[in-house]
Parts: sequence; structure tokens; C-alpha cells
Amino acid sequence: MTFEIAHAGHWLTSIAYFLPVVAFLVWLGITQFRERRREKG
Amino acid sequence: MFLIGHGISVRSDLPIPEWLFGWAAAMVLVVSFVALAVLWPEPRLQKPGWRPLPDGIGRALASRPVEIVCGAIGVFLLGLTIYAGLEGAQSTTANFAPIFIYVIFWLGLVPLSVVFGDVFRAFNPWRAVGRAVAWLARTISRGDLPAPLEYPAWLGRWPAAAGIFCFATMELVASNGDKPETLAIAALLYSALTFIAMALYGVERWIDRGEAFSVYFNLFSRLSPIETRDREVGLRQPLSGLPQLEPLPGTVGLVCVMIGSVSFDGFTGKRPWNSVSPDIAQFFQDRGLSPEHALELTFLLGLIGGVLFVAALYWLGVLGARSVGGGFSARRLAQEFAHSLVPIALAYVAAHYFTLLVFQGQGIFYLASDPLGKGSDIFGTADTQIDYTVIGADATWYWQVGFVVAGHVAALMLAHDRALAIYEDNKLAVRSQYWMLAVMVGFTSLALWLLSSAGS
Repeated sequence: MTFEIAHAGHWLTSIAYFLPVVAFLVWLGITQFRERRREKG
Repeated sequence: MFLIGHGISVRSDLPIPEWLFGWAAAMVLVVSFVALAVLWPEPRLQKPGWRPLPDGIGRALASRPVEIVCGAIGVFLLGLTIYAGLEGAQSTTANFAPIFIYVIFWLGLVPLSVVFGDVFRAFNPWRAVGRAVAWLARTISRGDLPAPLEYPAWLGRWPAAAGIFCFATMELVASNGDKPETLAIAALLYSALTFIAMALYGVERWIDRGEAFSVYFNLFSRLSPIETRDREVGLRQPLSGLPQLEPLPGTVGLVCVMIGSVSFDGFTGKRPWNSVSPDIAQFFQDRGLSPEHALELTFLLGLIGGVLFVAALYWLGVLGARSVGGGFSARRLAQEFAHSLVPIALAYVAAHYFTLLVFQGQGIFYLASDPLGKGSDIFGTADTQIDYTVIGADATWYWQVGFVVAGHVAALMLAHDRALAIYEDNKLAVRSQYWMLAVMVGFTSLALWLLSSAGS
């Protein structure tokens, strides 16, 4: 198995597909963190 | 491994990059979620409304003569498949068995179930034989037959999950899984196991819970507006059949097998798998396995990995939903929302195997005339060729994106409706669904990536 820098275009495109999931999870994490802080306060 | 190409094609005229379709699909899901939260404040799918077809049509369609004819057709097709597999040419494309099992039966019955309801139940050869034998035994013994064993509650739908996993293994893992003779022997073996199980637990009980294909197609048929009740065909609200799904053990496992096996099939065409799998196979070869068995074991591990990945994604959503409160256990939530995975399974199957069904499905025309692949021409269609221009690459992509988005929006609707039904507070219900939305966006992105040319 090799790390294919030469094929960066391929895996960057692949990563692009999953950016909405990452963005959504980040938003969800921040929302829950805020809510928990509000509940404690 | 069933290696007829799923319609090898190159998309050339898309107006935006493929990955932007993924982003657009995620946006559609988020907008749908907001719309559901605002416009859908009460559960609407939980009550099983149903009305019979008018003018006695419903009774006629579900009548005993129709049932007998459909069952006989099913038995004939099973017999033909086994006979062709054993006696016909040992070719994947020239023999009736592989195309019929993997394309017409396995894929073709999915859209039929979604549109017309549980059609496989009518044509199910094992049910037909089981019922005929039971009737004969009752007649001979004058009703003095021992009652079947009680079906263990813990078994639930696990036998069906195991059956579908074995089928996927034959399709995606076994190196001779597309050989007609192998398929015929597998069909004989499966038939024997099914008859034994039906004898032990009763025909209808085994068909409802244990017989893999009955349970599989029944899940898809629950999306349909057509349902048969008490020997009468009628209409119901689309999707409303799924919330009535009994939350039995093994249901989540079954749906994870359904989605995971399709995901793995798509993943085998991707660069990450193709760069890692030879090393894994070599590892097994170094430990004494033949190259063929090493590759099979590698693919089996990949298939298991695909199923576990889907299960982990679902459980992530369940644990997230539990974290917002409501007092439900993770196990309870997993069972409550399992039915919402069925449209996702449909989206995966429809999108992934669309071209296989459209192109290889045409093979049934020449195979009907020459099922053994030995040169006969029963209906004069033996020379029919597959028309690969039926649908273009770009149109295929649009259909696939449409299937994926529609399936996930339907899943959101089902999950939202169930959340409203089980949570006392509507706000809590919506908050619990943030996590399910994350899961749906994850499944959508995964589906479109698997279908795309990215990472291939």
C-alpha cells in the first residue's frame, strides 16, 4: 500500500463528497455543546 | 463473483462536477428536514389506514385460483432455474439461471414490490409447495396433524438476515458464485432448508420471519400503496406499511446487511479497496491459502466490514438521538427507527443496480427462448441482443441521484413521523432527529461517492 500524492486529485475529489457530513457533524457538536452549557448555567 | 458489468459508462456532459451533486443532495435533505419540522407536527403514518379495491377487484386478485396459478408459476420458474443450472451450458450469460437469479429475481422484484406490493408472496415457490404439502397432509390425516413448534422470539428476523448475507456472499465473494451449476445446487440446498424450517415452525410463520427472500421483498413492499389483507387487495397511504413493521430482533441486522452488501459491491470498484485488497489476499496466501481462497476470504472480510460500517453509522445516529433525552434506551431507539432504513436500502439497490437491471435484464428475452444456452429457439427470440443505448450515461447518473435523494427523503419522513409518535415533546422529537439527519446525509454522501467515478 502506498500513499499516492501523485493521485491527490482522486482522493481530494473523494473527500469533497463527505464534506457535508463533516460540516453537519461539526454544527451538531457545537449546537449540543452550547445547549449543555446553557442547561448547566 | 457476479462479474457482468453494471453498465460501464463514462459521463461527459454533466453541468457541474459529480461531487457537487452530493452537496446538492445533502442540501435537499436539510431543507426537507426543516420543512418536516415546520409542516409535519403530528404523526401521520402510524395508523394503518386501508381500503379495498372497488367492485370486488381486490377479492378477485387475491382469490384462491389466482394464488394457485401464481404459486405454480413460481414453482415452474424455480424448477426451470435448477434444471437450467444443472443441465445447461455453464456460461453466466448464456444460461437462464444466473441472469434470472441475480437480475430478474433479485433486482427486478424490488421495483415490482415497491409499486404493486408483496408480489413475491404470491409467486413464492417455497410457500406454494409448503401450503400444498400442508393441505395434502391435512387431507390425508383428516386434520390430525401435530401443531408446529413455537417460533423462538429471540430468533426474530435473524434467519432472514443470515440468508441475505449468504446470498450476498455468493454474489460478491464466491469465485464460482455466478456458475449455473453452483446456483442450482445453492437453490436446491436453500429449498431443502426452507422446507425443513416450514415443517418445524409452520409455513406462514417461517415465510413471515425466516425465509430470507420473503422478508427481503416484504420490507420493500411496505413502501407500496398496495397491500393484501384477509385475502383482499386494497390501497393504503404510501410508506404507511413500514411503521407497522413489527420490531423483531434481527430487523436492524437485516437492513444493515441489505445496505452494507450493496455498499461493499460499490466499494470493490474503488481505489482504496483495490490498493488494499491484494495485500490482504497476499497475507492469507502467505499462511497457506490458495490464491482463489485467499481472495474469497479477503472479499468476505470486506463484505463483513461493509455491513459493520453501516451498522456503526446507524448506531451513531441512535446514540446521538438518545443523548438528547427522552428516557429511551439505545436498543429501543434502534428498533423504533429500523424501518426508516428500508427506503435507504431501496435507494442503494435502485441506484447501484439500475444499469444492471436495465441492460442485463434484457437478457431474459433470449434466455426465454434458449434457457439452457444450447441453441433452442422456443419463442423465436433467441437472437435478441441487449440494447446498450436504452439509456445514456448522463441520464443514468440523474436517475441514480434521484433514487438516492428520494430514498433518503422518504427515510427522513419515516423517522420524523416515528419520533413524533414516541416522544412526548415535539421539540425533543425534532432534536433527536438531528442525529438521524446526520446519518442520512452520511448515507447519501456514501451512496453518491460509491456511484461516482471519484476514487475509481
